[in-house]
Amino acid sequence: MEFLLEINTEEIPASHVHAAITQIEEKLQNELLSVDIRISKLETFGTCRRLIAMGDFGESQKDKLEQVIGPPKSVAYLADGKPSPAALGFAKSQGVNINALEVVQTEGGEYIGINKVSKGKMTRDILAEALPRIIESLSFPKMMRWGNNPMRFSRPIKNILCLFGQKRLKFSVAGMDSSDSTTGHKIYFPQRIKVKTLSQYKDALKKKKVIIDPLKRKKMILDQSERKLASIDAQLFEDDLLMEKLCYDVEHPYVFLGSFPEEYLNLPLEVLSTAMKVGQNLFSVVKGRKQLPYFLGVADALNDAKSLIKKGNARVLKARLEDAKFFWEQDVKTSLKKRSGGLDRIIFQEKLGSYEDKVERLKKIAVYIAGKLELSNEKKEILETAELCKIDLLTEMVREFPSLQGRIGGLYAKHEGYPQNVWKGIYEHYLPQSLEDVSPSSFSGAILSIADKMDSIVGVFGVGEEVSGSKDPFGLRRNAQGVCKIILDRKMNFPFFRLCDKVIAVYGESLEMGKEELKTHCVEFFENRLQYIFEKWGYRYDLVNAALAPGIDNIYFTYLKVKALDSLKDSPQFEPLIHIAKRVNNILRDQPKYKVNSEILFEKEERELYTTFTIIRDNVLPLLAAGDYSRAQKMIFRIRSSINTFFDEVMVMTDDKRAKRNRLALLQEISKLLFLIADYSQIVIEG
Amino acid sequence: MSLQDLIMNLQKFWAAQGCYIAQPYDVEVGAGTMTPDTFFRVLDDRPWNVAYIQPSRRPADGRYGENPHRVQKHHQCQVIMKPSPQDIQNIYLKSLATLGIDIRDHDIRFDEDDWESPTIGAWGVGWQVLLDGLEISQFTYFQQAGGIDCFPVPVEITYGLERLEMFLEGKENMYDLQWSDDVTYRDLRYREEKEFSEYNFNQADIKLLRKSFALYSKEAQKLIEKDLLLPSYDMCLKCSHLFNLLDSRGAVSVTERVNLIAEIRGLVNQIAQKFTSKESLT
Repeated sequence: MEFLLEINTEEIPASHVHAAITQIEEKLQNELLSVDIRISKLETFGTCRRLIAMGDFGESQKDKLEQVIGPPKSVAYLADGKPSPAALGFAKSQGVNINALEVVQTEGGEYIGINKVSKGKMTRDILAEALPRIIESLSFPKMMRWGNNPMRFSRPIKNILCLFGQKRLKFSVAGMDSSDSTTGHKIYFPQRIKVKTLSQYKDALKKKKVIIDPLKRKKMILDQSERKLASIDAQLFEDDLLMEKLCYDVEHPYVFLGSFPEEYLNLPLEVLSTAMKVGQNLFSVVKGRKQLPYFLGVADALNDAKSLIKKGNARVLKARLEDAKFFWEQDVKTSLKKRSGGLDRIIFQEKLGSYEDKVERLKKIAVYIAGKLELSNEKKEILETAELCKIDLLTEMVREFPSLQGRIGGLYAKHEGYPQNVWKGIYEHYLPQSLEDVSPSSFSGAILSIADKMDSIVGVFGVGEEVSGSKDPFGLRRNAQGVCKIILDRKMNFPFFRLCDKVIAVYGESLEMGKEELKTHCVEFFENRLQYIFEKWGYRYDLVNAALAPGIDNIYFTYLKVKALDSLKDSPQFEPLIHIAKRVNNILRDQPKYKVNSEILFEKEERELYTTFTIIRDNVLPLLAAGDYSRAQKMIFRIRSSINTFFDEVMVMTDDKRAKRNRLALLQEISKLLFLIADYSQIVIEG
Repeated sequence: MSLQDLIMNLQKFWAAQGCYIAQPYDVEVGAGTMTPDTFFRVLDDRPWNVAYIQPSRRPADGRYGENPHRVQKHHQCQVIMKPSPQDIQNIYLKSLATLGIDIRDHDIRFDEDDWESPTIGAWGVGWQVLLDGLEISQFTYFQQAGGIDCFPVPVEITYGLERLEMFLEGKENMYDLQWSDDVTYRDLRYREEKEFSEYNFNQADIKLLRKSFALYSKEAQKLIEKDLLLPSYDMCLKCSHLFNLLDSRGAVSVTERVNLIAEIRGLVNQIAQKFTSKESLT
């Protein structure tokens, strides 16, 4: 039977719509499956004003056949074959005629009983009971109340339409009764429309200019854009986030193309596209890589017959660009260096002081990293980048467009004639913003970005702030992932623990947490982030754990370990090695440490294992130092046959204590070598 | 339609919706939200419907009269309805119709924009209303004020009058607006903007501002203890404006900024606490 739910609301933010319809689908599905209601179809759609679920469910639960056992046959009938009082009583208690009783075979002999059919519950009743719960339990990143209503939701609910089997399904949510009507497009068709069936609903909304499917809206936007842009032979400057937002923000997309005076093309592209996007949600228009003096907007409208939408937007945009131009002209009047004194006025974190303090720390951290990466010759440029990188926080332009921080500083530095390594470093030092984003292309940007992020992570943890669940006010997770991504992208080979030590030392006594505790905390945080990154990139969780277990002092090498394990996991030698590693670990469990004495290797097999091991070790260690985990791993495979023979022929746990300890010591050495590559015992063998 | 017609139209419209038309408050405020007609009235659980015009001062927005759409003092039309009516969005759209705006010819959007005022411990959820890309109103469901949950929930609608009038007159420069048929915005406000910008950015005596802040803050605390909550709140408003002036003079350091805002919020929260507990007794 067909099902339809439409929650009509005031405008919900795009991100909330998506989250809500996913939750509705999941919850509805769980609810119905848990009570055995058939779901033939369940789809969800949404706009900023509607959360919609529609589907086809079974009419009711299946009837259940049930057997109720009564008294034993022997006491159920009297000698004359008539039912005994016991049988009569049973029949009465079950509300059936005495003739309905049957003889039932059980393990304990013959009994009398009845076969009863219990009627399945109606889906309609189940839904009426479940839907209020489901709707009230929807969670949003930020929730509110309205009117006299104790309920919390993303935005106020205006109407709930619910049909099942072409009839209104009655229930109430927070004092509001469900209805059998909806409305069309908010501006053009606000009148109520009664609907009885799913197809009536779809037709009505189509006629009343509401496109409920986000994919269809997106296609309309793209098609219209293409047509508009073809006339000027240009393309849309793609912006997925903006597109996603606009897809949900409108119920009937109408694309308009407008223009702005060419004089503003002198502004940097970054400023132009941000001015268009922030506040007005407009797309930039380009031809190849060249910005054109046009913009493209998406209205929630049928058309723009009087060109008012286009002209209105153009006027607002012109004012914004005029402002931006003014800011640019004002800002460049004062050099970055001259402004730098003002950084002490901008707070970084209450307990960690101002941006002036931060910049002082960044200089030290950046120079340290440069030294580790043998970039000491570039020290001067790196210092200059660090010194200038935060000054744009003091400019009018960044105050107006905060998302341009860094990029604006870089553009001003370029304008002032700083070398490319300096201005690019400033420009890029907030990169990458996410795992999908690109790392800085300049070494100065990469180093500064790492320094800045490490400074934030260590400092914020150091004053006792925590990251948990949705709580991450300083974006420390993103920062840590950024650090990892840069290290991996640039194949940076340096000791991470020492970097933590350095940053902690630079903070000196201003932190509340003890130095060792803080370092451990940071390292664990990074282990978690690396685990997240590797699994997100599709590596098997057990391989990731195996690679992380020996420690992440060299983050780049940790990645090479994961890659090596991944590339060899299907090799025929892989699984046997895991078994051996596990066996070695089992034997060594709870054993104290011993030392190998090669003089007392009595048996041929243990001598042979010792020799093979030393050869392999001497070959593997240089490979490990070079980060060639793949070849090291393959080399390790070769120990297998010697170990197997050893286990087959030599008794490790012998009564001869000296021999036993020596054999354990040999296995400990092998285990130690294996652990340099991975903790193989973490790897799961299937089957 | 001149600016004064716009004002009169909005007042007439909201009066017809059952709002009492208040007069502007006579202490400097940064926004209509801060006046007692909003702040105190959203705290209790009694119905409250009010609309008023409020000149609002933001010293750092001054541009010496040279910027066509930024000024250090502008005018808001502030509406509070508590509890928020179920069809308040439609009522709002009707108010635009009375100004001669046929929304079917335009693109009207409720664009996510939550609001927060750390100074008075208040926050709400809502939108900026965009008319063909121009922000003409803020629309907010108050969730907290003075650190206290607002329930029943008030809705606040704030029209930026200069912006709206620029739209209605199709002008690109605020100073070209007609306040009345005979008087332009420039006639009334240009000199004021120029002189106040100079005062806000260059002449305001920092020492005097700081000293005044301390004195008013002390006075506010004293008045709280005497249960004189409305006068005490006035003192907080003065502190808030003094803080804004210190800020536009570039005289507020990091820690000071945090501390000064926290100082005002602390006072305001005490007032809200005391006001609601007193309310519950009466």
